[in-house]
Amino acid sequence: MGETTDQTRQTDDARLLQRVASGDQAAFGQLYDRFSRPLYATAARILNDNREAEDIVHDVFIVLWEKASEFHESKGSAFGWAVTLTRNRSIDRIRQRRRRQELLTESAPGDLGYNADHTDDRNSSDDLQIKEKAVTVREAVSSLPAEQKSALELAFFSGLTQQEIAERLQQPLGTVKARIRRGLFKLRDLLSPQLRS
Amino acid sequence: MIDERLEELASLYALDLIEGAERSAFEREIAADAELRKLVDALREASAQLALTVNAPTPSIELRNRVMASVANRAGRAQPPVPVALTSNVVRPSPLLWLGWAAAAVFAIAALWAGQRYSVNRNELAATQTMAEMEKAAAQTIRNQLEAERLIAIRQTDEFKRAQAEVGTLKQNLATERIQTARQLAELQGKNDLANFKISRLASLLGNSPDATAIAIWNPLTQEGVLTVDKLPALASNQDYQLWVIDPQYPAPVDGGVFAVDSATGVGRATFRPRQPVAQVTKFAVTRERKGGAAAAGEGQMILISQ
Repeated sequence: MGETTDQTRQTDDARLLQRVASGDQAAFGQLYDRFSRPLYATAARILNDNREAEDIVHDVFIVLWEKASEFHESKGSAFGWAVTLTRNRSIDRIRQRRRRQELLTESAPGDLGYNADHTDDRNSSDDLQIKEKAVTVREAVSSLPAEQKSALELAFFSGLTQQEIAERLQQPLGTVKARIRRGLFKLRDLLSPQLRS
Repeated sequence: MIDERLEELASLYALDLIEGAERSAFEREIAADAELRKLVDALREASAQLALTVNAPTPSIELRNRVMASVANRAGRAQPPVPVALTSNVVRPSPLLWLGWAAAAVFAIAALWAGQRYSVNRNELAATQTMAEMEKAAAQTIRNQLEAERLIAIRQTDEFKRAQAEVGTLKQNLATERIQTARQLAELQGKNDLANFKISRLASLLGNSPDATAIAIWNPLTQEGVLTVDKLPALASNQDYQLWVIDPQYPAPVDGGVFAVDSATGVGRATFRPRQPVAQVTKFAVTRERKGGAAAAGEGQMILISQ
């Protein structure tokens, strides 16, 4: 049931992106409503700054508008593409900060906020779908061993290099690489029913 | 078959954790291996789902308006942002349809204008804030540089003062050494001044060796002297000649040390240093003593004495 819903959602996303590629602003509005919250949350988590997160999300959606025609469903989901754009831009911003000698530690997340209360009370069908999916992903991530979870967390959200992650976790680089590999493979396996193979 | 090394690289690549030559090499491997490409895509897709684990406030409606306005500008169409609530509503005909459309159009244009103004203002504000931050950082850098220069100046001043003190000490030492050197030079000059030397000729007291003679040269400053003897009789193997210095401050002659002579010619030369400080020499005397010399004068026969 969940798998079907998820595949339907991904197909809907791809179709919306196709319409966006043809200049359909209404489709773009729908795509915004489906993606904006997780993209904003990701940018805010990485940057630890809501204003900068809004700038990143704005820029990402402009890229989606302008590059929609370049999206290929065969290479992944539209959501995955949007998240990658958001993450990369957020990390670029973090590295700009680092060049300005700002403290990276302030922007590295302490945890993924699994236990935090939800503050959003929007109740659109898009949001419900996202929430259902989020519950599944959170459960999958929570089931990972703690050391794999923390390694993945830093790898995805911190913008740190491999070596910096190893230093942060006070573990040998080889150990950290292995933890990332095992964690990510487990996550893929756990979410595989949700993800298109 | 994908080995563990490639799996690890695929994981790191999916999270953008490899760079440079390693990244380029791996991308070549991906390009040549469809299975590896598929794995990377799957891992990237899985990692993207982490975005759903983060809790954060919903982005503001202003952001939506700003994004939609930017897209409308790019599309070259003056269309308003598409409100969420309107996308699924069905508009029914009514007698006031035109009036409603007109109001909606006015509202939409106003909303678009407001959105654009907001976007422009926000961008200007962001640019201003960025400039302010950069200027603040530049000011801080200048402050840091000034502080560093101030500290360097303080340190250099301290070093200069210390160097000055060292130069003063060196000057003082140099002056002291100059005085000492001058004193030592004067002393040395005095030591070598022949006018201070006492030269005394010793004559024989022996009837069988009337030609025996000696010359003693005494330097009172160094308390040293040289004795040269000639034609002294040969000694037995258990005998030595001994020199005595007569100084009125002592009741007995002062021991000047023993010396030997060539048994064939009676010639000898010795440097002597009396065992006690000598203030004034009135006479020198040479006696023949047992081997090693006597502790006090009077034991042996007197051979020579100052004239």
